[in-house]
Amino acid sequence: MEIFAEQLMNGLTVGSVYALVALGYTMVYGIMRLINFAHGDLFMLGAYVGFTVLMTFFAQSGLPLWVILLCIAFAAMAAVALAGVAVERAAYRPLRRSHRLTAVVSALGASIVLQNGAMLIWGPRYQAYPAWAVPSTRFEVFGVSMTSMQLLILAIALVLMVALYFFVQRTVLGMAIRATAIDHDTARLMGIDIDQVIRLVFIIGPALGAAAGVMIGLYYRQIHFTMGWAYGLKAFTAAIMGGIGNIPGAMLGGFLLGILEMLGAGYISSAWKDAMVFVLLILLLILRPHGLLGERVAEKV
Amino acid sequence: MYRRILVSQQGSALRAWTAVLALMLGLTLGLAGAIPASAQQPIRIGLQGPITGPWALEGEMAVNSVQIVVDQINARGGVLGRPIEIVLGDDQGSPRQSALVAQRMIAEGVVAVISSYGSSITEPASLLYEEAGILNIAYGATAETLTERGYQYFFRTCFRDDRQGAFFAELVRSHLGSQRIAIVHDNTTFARGLAEAARSSLAGVPGVEIVFYDAITPGERDFTATISRMRTQNPDVVYFTAYYPEAGLFVRQMRDAGMDAVFVGGNAAVNAEFIDIAGLSVATGVLVTQEPLPTDLDYPEAQAFLDEYIRRHGAPPTSPWPVYAADALNVIAAAIEATGSTDSAVLANYLRTSLNINGITGPIAFDAKGDRAGAIYKAYVVDAQGNIVDAGI
Repeated sequence: MEIFAEQLMNGLTVGSVYALVALGYTMVYGIMRLINFAHGDLFMLGAYVGFTVLMTFFAQSGLPLWVILLCIAFAAMAAVALAGVAVERAAYRPLRRSHRLTAVVSALGASIVLQNGAMLIWGPRYQAYPAWAVPSTRFEVFGVSMTSMQLLILAIALVLMVALYFFVQRTVLGMAIRATAIDHDTARLMGIDIDQVIRLVFIIGPALGAAAGVMIGLYYRQIHFTMGWAYGLKAFTAAIMGGIGNIPGAMLGGFLLGILEMLGAGYISSAWKDAMVFVLLILLLILRPHGLLGERVAEKV
Repeated sequence: MYRRILVSQQGSALRAWTAVLALMLGLTLGLAGAIPASAQQPIRIGLQGPITGPWALEGEMAVNSVQIVVDQINARGGVLGRPIEIVLGDDQGSPRQSALVAQRMIAEGVVAVISSYGSSITEPASLLYEEAGILNIAYGATAETLTERGYQYFFRTCFRDDRQGAFFAELVRSHLGSQRIAIVHDNTTFARGLAEAARSSLAGVPGVEIVFYDAITPGERDFTATISRMRTQNPDVVYFTAYYPEAGLFVRQMRDAGMDAVFVGGNAAVNAEFIDIAGLSVATGVLVTQEPLPTDLDYPEAQAFLDEYIRRHGAPPTSPWPVYAADALNVIAAAIEATGSTDSAVLANYLRTSLNINGITGPIAFDAKGDRAGAIYKAYVVDAQGNIVDAGI
């Protein structure tokens, strides 16, 4: 039973990261009907920016740990949001009126540029977040052992997700996002600046991805310029599972994927866990082609 | 593959024949004009390795090591009066990329290739080199299956896994005194081969039980699920046969989960980067079964090589493999010098039957399969300063 609870905790931790990254995919898809294949690499960029800020400014600062972590998280989110806007401006906006496949190819191109750019800047080797930057107190709750880093990841991810949900549902800007997702032309007739809305989505999505990147860097302490691909694929799967374009769907999909992965690895074999996850995805798509929560138009984005 | 393309082009039409004739004429004229110059033309030798990608550290150390030998050979006047030139190919540690690099090497017309690190990466490339008839020497590919294919052009300066598996069993029996062993691999040709060799060797050791045997996925970061499952079996030794990027994370997550079993890495699991990833406090005390490190080779050639390496790069290589790459070049150069030929068939025949040189890693000779004769394994331990030193057992 403890093993089960422990796997559940591990799954929730990884799942919350998948969910954060999946939100970026799903929001962009909701607005533009485009799979932003560069999103996984923006996540990777977040991990690297956080690492660089940590090593250059805070290596000997002596500030309390939570201040440092907050600073590097905000720095990474800001930098990657800028990168996201730049990617949109350079790779997607010129192709807004062309065929959807063209934009997908452009997205793949952007992904390659980001990956190789990171390799040129930070080198092809692994980088390791230093051990002192990671809150690693271990404690037991009802016999289930967990680390403070796991709880921190879970808490931050939940706060970000709840904040996003209220932003989209309760604010004027959120309403503009929802309106644009339903119909570009009508939204424009209502006086909504579509370009601004798209830019906003490309700020929020990558910023969430960057936060996830920093957390993964701290959690596993090892980052690499190709790591965006694996996490991007998983998060994309999570977005599809929940119903792409659907914000609560992406959150649900992320948690579900993380938990399934961990239980699969824990009870069957970790060599088969990816295969099992994707078999499940195929079954789900056959039985519910629009994902668990569906692509319900009224709640899209 | 190459030959097949040529054949289909020739068999097309009469016009093609005229073209071929013209080409031959042109070639003859061109060659006649070029002969005096070609005496000074470099001998081009390919070096294929993971220069980027997850194993970039190994690729970098291999390039550094080979370059030292190139400079040594060229400084004493080259081979057959011609300098050596290296053609680099980056296979990124990916089998698919490895095949592309091999095709490029073949198209470039290199004399021989040093290729590569990782058994499942070497496998596809060696197939293409075999078809094209190009001598290729692996430096970090130890899976037994590689030399069991009856290839004519494939050799390796490193040793085979079956011996290492037996060495691990001996280590368990005589020094660790442990009873419950866990073996973890990653399903790649090499790691699974070593895991299986260790398992079959352990089968003969009385009182030892393999309580856990499973694979992880390369490129994965989270092994907590596997570790939780392993912990229920309560092993006292964990033998990890996969590569260092995963090994570093695995051992740290093991310690985080409160497991204090002895961690023993296979010969791809531990180098400087492993210690960075695991963190010094976790890495300290980790054991390794591997070929002697460059710093532990007491041949005069090794000392000269090591001094030069440290002079250029500040520290010795932290894994055994780069030196095998350097020795592969020594082997190729010796064969070209002895036979006076750059034809791969002649060179391969010479390597199999007559080569016997003193390399950096000791005396080198090959058996009929292309495997290197003899094998030495040692146990290493990571000390509290993060150095990988002789475990003295």
